[in-house]
Amino acid sequence: MTMTLVGKYRLEWLLIVVLVSAVGCFTLAVSTKAPAGGGRLHVELVGLGLLVLLAAILARQWSYRRKTVRSLEHITTRLEQLNQDQTGGCVLIDGMGAEASEIAPDTTEALLAVIKQVEDLRRESHSLHIRGLICETQKHQVEQMLMSVSDAVFVTNRFDELTFANETAEQLLGFRMRDCKRKNIDEIVPDGALVRLLQDTRRLGLNHPARVVEHSFNNGTVPCTFSISLRCLGGPNDTVAGVVAILHDITREKEIEQGKAEFVANVSHELKTPLASIKAYIEMLLDGEVQDPASTRDFYETISAEADRLHRMIERILAISRIESGSDRVLREPVSMTAVIKQVIKVIAPKAKAKNIEIEEHLAPVYFQVDADYDLLCQAVQNLLVNAIKYTAPGGHVVVDVSPDERRGVLAVDVSDTGVGIAGDELPRVFEKFYRGQSARKMASGSGLGLPLVKYIIEKIHGGHLSATSEPGKGSTFSFEIALVS
Amino acid sequence: MPDMNEKNENKKILIVDDEPYILHVLALKLRNAGYDVLTAADGEEGVELSLSEQPDLIIADFQMPYMNGLEFLTEHRRRGGREIPTMLITAREFDISDRQAQKRGIAIVLAKPFSPQQVVEVAGRLLRKDGCSRNVA
Repeated sequence: MTMTLVGKYRLEWLLIVVLVSAVGCFTLAVSTKAPAGGGRLHVELVGLGLLVLLAAILARQWSYRRKTVRSLEHITTRLEQLNQDQTGGCVLIDGMGAEASEIAPDTTEALLAVIKQVEDLRRESHSLHIRGLICETQKHQVEQMLMSVSDAVFVTNRFDELTFANETAEQLLGFRMRDCKRKNIDEIVPDGALVRLLQDTRRLGLNHPARVVEHSFNNGTVPCTFSISLRCLGGPNDTVAGVVAILHDITREKEIEQGKAEFVANVSHELKTPLASIKAYIEMLLDGEVQDPASTRDFYETISAEADRLHRMIERILAISRIESGSDRVLREPVSMTAVIKQVIKVIAPKAKAKNIEIEEHLAPVYFQVDADYDLLCQAVQNLLVNAIKYTAPGGHVVVDVSPDERRGVLAVDVSDTGVGIAGDELPRVFEKFYRGQSARKMASGSGLGLPLVKYIIEKIHGGHLSATSEPGKGSTFSFEIALVS
Repeated sequence: MPDMNEKNENKKILIVDDEPYILHVLALKLRNAGYDVLTAADGEEGVELSLSEQPDLIIADFQMPYMNGLEFLTEHRRRGGREIPTMLITAREFDISDRQAQKRGIAIVLAKPFSPQQVVEVAGRLLRKDGCSRNVA
């Protein structure tokens, strides 16, 4: 930069010298009195002066041109540099088109500061725009998440107006969000108690912790129980912005809970009954209430029989519990149903003989096999045959029929008796745990666990189907089907 | 306790239970204690006997086929039976509220498993109380 300045001033001086020389030449030509022969010198001096003047004009023009080109080159370089640095800046140009940054450094600095601030603001605005987009995306994602949860979620504002509801809430409370936005919840939610819960939560404010309330109301015509979580939403300056409510349907859990409680109550009752006999008989023996050896023996036999009954019940309860929890080890292999039935009949034949009951067999060829657990299948068939004998009067008849249906790929087993039968309204309940029909109770003792166990073995373990038909006083038929091994 | 047994001889107790072993053991214990014992295997038979025999005390099982212990007592009263002190035996004592028991004149609910001796003692107490009230009446 210094070099340029020096060069510029040198040229100015040169021009001044040239101009002074030209003026000198003219002055000399004018002042010299030309003699007769001296006219030529006079003309030469004027010519020299004109030449010098012309040279000076050309030099000046050349100097301006060079200056302009340099200035343009300089500006271009500065602009390229600014562009390369991706920064803001300014290039000042003077009235002559020359870059004047050096001439007014303060102005340049001030302008650069302004440009920097504008650039900062632009960057901040860009960042805010991106943050806004992220927030929008996150809001959308949260809404999508709330939409996809199976619990009903809805949000009200501080005026108890609905501002958000997911699809489950819409279905549960029977409204469409797009029709109900900003409507007061008492116009939307039909259950008054639920509306009061939301209003109370808002009134309690932010200092009150979130609460969980169990509440039942009708979902359509079906009574449902919900665990409702209610929480106040905070707004600016710790104000209440609204309430979020999450309704978790616990109807099924309640039913299971009740079923479990009922099961425990039934189990305890069923176990207490033989236990009561055992305890009473032992006390009688200890108190010497029976003296003769025959009665004493009777008592011991009763105690033994009741202890066996207790053992059987515990075994069945455990078997059902193992199957229900899926912890029972099941060994599947091709099993001949005819072989299973022959095995079971061998075991129970003495019971049938004692009651003079004939067991008639219509069995399929041994090569018809099912993919089954041999022991569990024996247990199921045995329970059906024992029941048939137990609930049939002496001299009755029991028929076991095994027939393959190759077209449907199943093996059908029917166990029919000429027993006491089951009343029509009791028939659907005979597979319920601990349920015992009136006629069955009258006829013989039982735990009410035999048929549920058969149902579990046939349907849950072997994927088959078990059903029963009966005519009170004439007899019953229990039928099941299991897929044949192809 | 010969004098006690003699005193019990004119007292009639009806036992209603579908469990034959319980029925047998209670009947034996109460007979040994000198009571006149009647037995019924279900509520229907029980109502017939309670109406025809007019027992001084009823011992009934709660869980029975056809009609349970409470239904049996309701049926007894419905068919014009007089209020008889009753001992209810059950393995599901939590299923019977005090109100239900009071409404049907159940004096005591005995939980299974029970002691036959305890049954005899409670029966004695109930019969003495009942005897007094009848004397007063």
